[in-house]
Amino acid sequence: MIRLEAVGWTFPHADAPALRGIDLTVAAGELVVICGASGSGKSTLLRTMNGLIPHFSEGGVLTGSVTVGGLATAEVELDQLGLVTGTVLQHPRRQFFTDTVAQEIAFAMENFGLAPADIRARVGQLVAELPSTAGSAALRWLSGGLQQQVAIAAATAHRPRVVLFDEPSSNLASDAVGRLSAALASLKAQGLAVVVAEHRLRYLSGLADRVIVLRDGTVEAEWPAAEFQALPDAVLAEHGLRGEVRPAVLPPAEASGPSVAPEAGAGRSARPSGGQSGQPGAGHLPKAGAGLELEGVRCRLGGRLVLDLDRAVFPAGQVTAVRGPNGVGKSTLARIVTGLQKAEGTVRLGGRPLTRRARQRSSAIVMQDPQRQLFADSVRAEIELAASASSSKARPGARPPATAAVLDALDLADLAERHPLSLSGGQTQRLVVAAARLSGRGIVVFDEPSSGVDRRHLRSISNQIRAAAASPAAVLLISHDEDLLAQAADRHLTLQTP
Amino acid sequence: MPDALNPGLRGLDPRTGLALVVLVSAAVMSPTGLRFVPAAVALGAGLAVAERAWRRGGGLVLAAAGLWLGGWPLPAAWPGAVTAVVALACQFTIRLVACVGVGWHVIGQSSPTAMSAALRAWRAPRAIAVTLAVMLRFFPVVVGEARAVADAMRLRGLAGGRGLLRHPWLSLERFAVPMTAASLRATEDLSASAALRGLGSRRRPTAMFPLRFGAADLMLALAVAALAAASLAASALLAPWWLA
Repeated sequence: MIRLEAVGWTFPHADAPALRGIDLTVAAGELVVICGASGSGKSTLLRTMNGLIPHFSEGGVLTGSVTVGGLATAEVELDQLGLVTGTVLQHPRRQFFTDTVAQEIAFAMENFGLAPADIRARVGQLVAELPSTAGSAALRWLSGGLQQQVAIAAATAHRPRVVLFDEPSSNLASDAVGRLSAALASLKAQGLAVVVAEHRLRYLSGLADRVIVLRDGTVEAEWPAAEFQALPDAVLAEHGLRGEVRPAVLPPAEASGPSVAPEAGAGRSARPSGGQSGQPGAGHLPKAGAGLELEGVRCRLGGRLVLDLDRAVFPAGQVTAVRGPNGVGKSTLARIVTGLQKAEGTVRLGGRPLTRRARQRSSAIVMQDPQRQLFADSVRAEIELAASASSSKARPGARPPATAAVLDALDLADLAERHPLSLSGGQTQRLVVAAARLSGRGIVVFDEPSSGVDRRHLRSISNQIRAAAASPAAVLLISHDEDLLAQAADRHLTLQTP
Repeated sequence: MPDALNPGLRGLDPRTGLALVVLVSAAVMSPTGLRFVPAAVALGAGLAVAERAWRRGGGLVLAAAGLWLGGWPLPAAWPGAVTAVVALACQFTIRLVACVGVGWHVIGQSSPTAMSAALRAWRAPRAIAVTLAVMLRFFPVVVGEARAVADAMRLRGLAGGRGLLRHPWLSLERFAVPMTAASLRATEDLSASAALRGLGSRRRPTAMFPLRFGAADLMLALAVAALAAASLAASALLAPWWLA
């Protein structure tokens, strides 16, 4: 179904090729996983399969041949390739072209000229397979998990023979990852060829037929599924792949209210329980006055109550994981504590109530899309800008870390003079994490800082998060990445729909 | 049939919306178009109320009222060069506000695919239909990215009046560069996804619900005709006081 022979690709104005000598075949009904470090060429390889390379990247050089469903991708029009392929991007909301679920699912079929009655029948069938809450809602109000399901339905509604996924689980909670896994199994059972570029491999272990590792644009290793599952962790680590990590076991944060999910075996509101594990910081709750406290915080968006906390404490010097399914108000909580979102209630830092403006001056955040947070013209200047903002507000005796040391710690030293906007996704993520750490603020929020980050760099990011907490700051770590939470978090606050 | 597939929820035909924008703009921006401004403002406010956009409806009426005060009573009460310039600006801006009030409703209520389908039904060239559809989808993306960059600047201490006054170009650059980059990346994903799903294809597109004029379109047409007639009658009967 997919055949790549000696494929190479060089982006316009690039010094070196992004892909070199790739040979790959994927049969109907087969699921192949492409993994590798950020910047290794996973997304680029997918783009050669759906024809975006070369049709959507003018000026590059494609060598070798790519055939999908019997079509040579370089020789046919993009819409012909669109008929045989479906593509699901990392951020589903970025690929939505319409406002409602039904319109989005119908979009490809309308453009490909299917009969209206057939479109309505197919849309009706796919909408019926979605949770009932999705059918009539506007796309922008759906949770990330539901948006992902709609994106899959929209990409497969016209019945393509090949489906390509670009890091589909990177922003999904565990329940949504379960639904993604079921969707992949269904596509495979229908005989479609499925290719998944991914960092998180655990949920694919029962589905994948082959695992391929890319490094610097070439195939570094390839294993059949059975062989891959038997690999020792040391081999996975050598290739920068994430192995089997058990879900992080963390003591609960001090919190109560309708938005707080009950602990297993406890009442509705979680209460501090002391240490449950050998996690750093567990077992001795700091005084509430030493960190960030929320009291009676309630927030409505579009008339809907999205967050309702009677009380929550985020101790300074500690990292509190904020968990919960997609759409329960985790990012809203982040916006409230950083002063970007109006809400009822009181927010105190170090025992002192803070206005929204004061919270903005006391906070730093790493957003889900870190490209929006790059303001300087080189990586070094970005670090220095963050450090200078910090030194102007530094606590007495605090000394910002040297720029060179930070760059080294994040594996960015070789890129110091590059423009931040020219970095790969993973490199950008690490740079913004470093800037947040250097900000010297009393509240630091990390919102999904490890999406698109491989195992090699996960450790450096968790070290930066720990360093931010030690500065000291109250750190909120919003993440579905159990690998990261196991390394970086001290306690957890799990949210639910209020 | 699921709610999502209920054609009864579609409201106005997008062709009615497009025709309305063209008609109102042509009437209000014509040399004698001031006489139609009150009717256009009333129409814009009425459409905002119909979609429960109370703030927009109220804002439109207040903006028009403010511009009317600046454009007519102000120079009458305080004749002078400054008030004359202000009055001239207000008299022009009030026309724009009237058009924006109607256009806002049409853009807000028309999905890119509906707009594209409307243009295709009118045999508009594919390049124009696709470009307009992409533009409609692009605006909310840019607005979203601009808000996010402004938030990030606020938290980094790079926003605020003092910085803007001391380093205006640097402040502008710090806002514009990441906003442009993030918007381009977001729209590249959007365009790539749309192109792969056949947008701009040479095939003849269809619509899940073929376009059809309905009762809502008829009611709007009658309301527009009544407002236009009332404007002409008012300008004739109330000549010294009516806008002209």
